[in-house]
Amino acid sequence: MGLLTILKKMKHKEREMRLLMLGLDNAGKTTILKKFNGEDVSTISPTLGFNIKTLEHRGFKLNIWDVGGQKSLRSYWRNYFESTDGLVWVVDSADRLRLEDCKQELSALLLEERLAGATLLVFANKQDLPGALSKEAIQEALALDDIKTHHWCIIGCSAVTGENLLTGVDWLLDDIAARIFTIE
Amino acid sequence: MEDLDEEDFAFSKSSAADAEFDAVIGSIEDIIMDDVFQQLQQSFMEKYYQEFDDTEENKLIYTPIFNEYIDLLEKHLEQQLVERIPGFSMSAFTQSLKQHKDEVSGDIFDMLLTFTDFMAFKEMFIDYRAEREGRGLDLSDGLVVRSLSCVAPSSLPTSTTVQPQ
Repeated sequence: MGLLTILKKMKHKEREMRLLMLGLDNAGKTTILKKFNGEDVSTISPTLGFNIKTLEHRGFKLNIWDVGGQKSLRSYWRNYFESTDGLVWVVDSADRLRLEDCKQELSALLLEERLAGATLLVFANKQDLPGALSKEAIQEALALDDIKTHHWCIIGCSAVTGENLLTGVDWLLDDIAARIFTIE
Repeated sequence: MEDLDEEDFAFSKSSAADAEFDAVIGSIEDIIMDDVFQQLQQSFMEKYYQEFDDTEENKLIYTPIFNEYIDLLEKHLEQQLVERIPGFSMSAFTQSLKQHKDEVSGDIFDMLLTFTDFMAFKEMFIDYRAEREGRGLDLSDGLVVRSLSCVAPSSLPTSTTVQPQ
């Protein structure tokens, strides 16, 4: 590790967190990011790269990274793992056909060493759609109860209406804060 | 361990270490202000600026370019410090950085930290590209706009001005 990298880690500010938002394509990651930031969400195109937003929330500075979820992009996710405090896994609750794929990708992430210390928030998104599965059904389909390596929580939400987005982020923030900022 | 001599010894030893630490910080300042450093940044931007677009979404390619940039600056800093300070060891210095954690503040560290800020990095490239393509400063309507190909070689500093060391 070189000088700049060490310095950056050293000066990692208190009350600053890095959140990484991943999930299959069309799960609603960018919509969540923009909605949370108070931006227009009516015309969002598929993300081919990544978005970053820095938000102030409850006195915390949140650096949120949203990386495109198309299959061809998933091998690049690893480039964004470093220093992640919270992993936000976004699920399209109406996409029943790809739940198995969704489960596989999440399990693979949870084995990543560089994400070992991250808290996991699962957003069961698109609860506003008529065919959406409940968060309980998603919890079962993704076998979340088997996760012993990470603190986790699942929240049903709608990125379009904004419902429960804050609830999710607040839980994530509390969990990370309790883990990180009480140790020092 | 409690007699005075030991304490004095410990004190003089630590102040010598402090002086050494301050000397390294001073050298880092010199290195960053040096033309060579500016030229290094300049030629790096020249190499990659066409990859950067002024759009909100970032391309995946920015990330390896960013990592290469950090790596380049870190290697340059280390190599220059070794040249300037006899017996310099980066691992010893970073150890001492951690001990001086609370004093690690001020302009020089802010500047070093800016190098590691991705958004600042992206902005630097977008500005460079705008300038390079003549969209940088909209000074006035009175300016004559010429095609880039005849303006660029004379008016813009490029990596070709770097003298071989």
